[in-house]
Amino acid sequence: MTAETLPQLLKENFKTYASRAVAMRVKDRGIWREYTWEDYYLKVKHFCLGLMYLGLHRGDKVSILGENKPEWYWAELAVQSAGGAAVGIFTDCLPGEIKYYVEHSDSTFMVVHDQEQVDKALEIKNDVPKVKKVIYWDPKGLWSYKDPILLSFDDVLELGRSYEKEHPGLFEERVEEGKGADIAAFCYTSGTTGLPKGGMLSQHWLVESVKAWGQFDGWIGKNYEYLSFIPPAWITEQGIGIAGSIIAPMVVNFPEEPETVQENIREIGPNVLFFGARLWENLNRMVQAKMLDSTFFRRLVYRLALPIGLRVSDMKEENKKISLPWRILYFAAYQTIFRQLRDRLGLSRVDAVYSAGAAVSPDIIRYFKALGIDIRLFYGSTEQGVMTLPKEGDIRPDTSGPPVPWVKIKLSEEGEILIQNKYPYSGYYKDPQATKAKVKDGWFHTGDFGHINEDGHLIVIDRMEDLKELAGGRKFSPQYTEIRLRFSPYIKDALVIGGPDKGYVTALINIDLDNVGRFAEARHVAYTTFTDLSQKEEVIELVKKEIIKVNQTLPEWTRVKRFVNLHKEFDADEDELTRTRKLRRTFVEEKYNDLIKTLYGDADTYKVEASVTYRDGRKGTMETSIRMNVV
Amino acid sequence: MKKDDRAPLIKISTLSLKFGGLQALSDVTLEIGEGEILAIIGPNGAGKTCLLNCINGFYHPYKGEILYRDKNLTRLKPHQIAALGIARTFQNIELYSGLTALDNLMAARHIHMKRGALLGCLFFGPTRREEVFHRHQIEEIIDLLELEPIRKKVVGSLPYGQRKRVDLARALCMDPAVLLLDEPMAGMNVEEKEDIARFILDIYELKKIPIVLVEHDMDVVMDISHRIAVLDFGLKISDGPPKDIRSDQRVIQAYLGEAS
Repeated sequence: MTAETLPQLLKENFKTYASRAVAMRVKDRGIWREYTWEDYYLKVKHFCLGLMYLGLHRGDKVSILGENKPEWYWAELAVQSAGGAAVGIFTDCLPGEIKYYVEHSDSTFMVVHDQEQVDKALEIKNDVPKVKKVIYWDPKGLWSYKDPILLSFDDVLELGRSYEKEHPGLFEERVEEGKGADIAAFCYTSGTTGLPKGGMLSQHWLVESVKAWGQFDGWIGKNYEYLSFIPPAWITEQGIGIAGSIIAPMVVNFPEEPETVQENIREIGPNVLFFGARLWENLNRMVQAKMLDSTFFRRLVYRLALPIGLRVSDMKEENKKISLPWRILYFAAYQTIFRQLRDRLGLSRVDAVYSAGAAVSPDIIRYFKALGIDIRLFYGSTEQGVMTLPKEGDIRPDTSGPPVPWVKIKLSEEGEILIQNKYPYSGYYKDPQATKAKVKDGWFHTGDFGHINEDGHLIVIDRMEDLKELAGGRKFSPQYTEIRLRFSPYIKDALVIGGPDKGYVTALINIDLDNVGRFAEARHVAYTTFTDLSQKEEVIELVKKEIIKVNQTLPEWTRVKRFVNLHKEFDADEDELTRTRKLRRTFVEEKYNDLIKTLYGDADTYKVEASVTYRDGRKGTMETSIRMNVV
Repeated sequence: MKKDDRAPLIKISTLSLKFGGLQALSDVTLEIGEGEILAIIGPNGAGKTCLLNCINGFYHPYKGEILYRDKNLTRLKPHQIAALGIARTFQNIELYSGLTALDNLMAARHIHMKRGALLGCLFFGPTRREEVFHRHQIEEIIDLLELEPIRKKVVGSLPYGQRKRVDLARALCMDPAVLLLDEPMAGMNVEEKEDIARFILDIYELKKIPIVLVEHDMDVVMDISHRIAVLDFGLKISDGPPKDIRSDQRVIQAYLGEAS
């Protein structure tokens, strides 16, 4: 009989490898501790029996709330072994949100990480009467907690061991009963519109779609090392981490703390990993900063090598043949610097590296490509898993790649991305109406706006509901343009404006004072203040070039036609930005209403009177004229 | 834990300290119980740090005595007092700034290490086992105070709040019987203060040792301490549970000045 479920596959791994192969590694107390497949299997078995003793039945749901640790994996597999489903919850959720997830999913147990999460669980326990026990795995700080609803992970394992003596073979029976159609996990949608919906994933989804993914990207059967870092409540970690590590099999490595990833990754040298956009950018920034502090000779070598790397990766992208001299140069650059750099970053052995979610700057992708690291920026969702994924050697900095073999993609007339998937999810929990509403004529409506370029690569632009309409009824995404403008080192912030009453697209630009200031110094352009700098001829030219670069990647009608360099930075203290530095679009548009009108008029300059508050409390006004610029 | 938390472990009686003409402490009498968190508060220059310095032997009073488990500490040297199990942290962080956090902590285990320098050079057998044992103890403390990310960072390069935490960890590495904390939260933001407050409570719960805390932040003090002693110009003007201190007229006067 072929294994249909993850617990069955886990059992197979246990039979094949027992204690001869490592399944997971976790850094604890400064030491990497190893768990073999036998350890993994036994933990799952005893935790499962412990839960069954406490009253977990087939089809029950268990909420899991914690950082990436082996216990997360054990708990999820234990729940699945008993025929239940694991509900992942993000650790930074507030008690109110946790209550929603636990209540909505009808969870009967909560498995939580530490004191912080226990406190949240205790806060909501009276609102979620279905929860029988709250089980924690890190007892630190909980020594004097006496609430009878609490139970430690080890206690449950112990209960499981004694339950096994009374009911030998029960666990194995339960695992055998598992079917591919069983619901294995819930992943909640992020709920940007309305309440989060619980996407249900079946065992079939976890096993088969992940197997297809692994085969597609070639990480099956290679004894790879995986770094578990993204939240397990997220479908990607459910896929590559929890399912992938059992299917491949791969060794899962858990960093000591989220903050120690940089250090831990070097000790592991993983082959497969997933980093979010921000992390790739941080890595890049770290290298740049360290290089600046380095010795003259090293800086020189780095400066010589990097352009070679970039050039060769460009040639690869254009599918050109790389001539022998370039091959030799790249080899030399790789041996002298890239290899060491990759080792320092812990990326010396990476094969499949992923990113998704937020857009990664094309420059970052090109940078890592020069080092020989292909970041695969894929497009996925809670409901459909991975939908597009670039293949090695076919990675473009600005696309999410072509559809994977098991997915068909087409665009609706409005430009919405529609999906047909061989491995679909099992619908939203307790919400058949929403499930049905997502599918029309056999196509799943993602709610994302995008287009497919001439090579068949998908470019995801924005959520449908965030799109704006232009004169003539065509849709465009201001955010998409803004994000790309911000990728420029000289542009700190941008507000892109357009609407049905406006003939073309314009932009308000905030220059980046540090970088533009450095640019001005290098050109001997004298300036006094931010305002003065922003209106310099050279600076306007510089920004114009950056905008043209972005414009080239945009469809004709969404290109920025006119812009101003704003005389001041957007400021959270003036309510122009939120505290998390997100632009408050409507507010800013209203505040600069007159300026924006001028942008659409004929005048070349606009006079601003800015009121300033001096440090001694006096108020004054400053008058400047800012220039309207045509791209 | 013993039955009576208040059974005195340290008895301070009529303690007086003078710097030239300046009377830093006059006739301070105070008991520190077996299992309590005692806060010492008072305006600037009230003598709070002087009191701690007397307990751990940096200053020697001209009058009065300090008894620790019936042993007189008054004339002992700081290292002798440390060996008795009285550990402290410093207002101005006194760490080896050129060493890593881990090495600072290992250095603090020094008083528990038995092998000499010579054997230490030959790193095998019992010496090795000893090192591993101490490293293990330290890792428990690193875990407790969440120092994992900075374990191998040079202390001099760390931000202030984290150095304070290393300082606290070092005091814990001595396996102390009494912990003296001199302004553990000075110069920290609210979040860092909350962290430290949580750590102090965790330490108290885990080790059940008395903790003496000199601190300015009244909110924290009122929250976490069992008893508060108030000093003003070298005199103890009040002593009692937080709710009594809050309404004590003398304390209010010392802090806010005479009502006009």
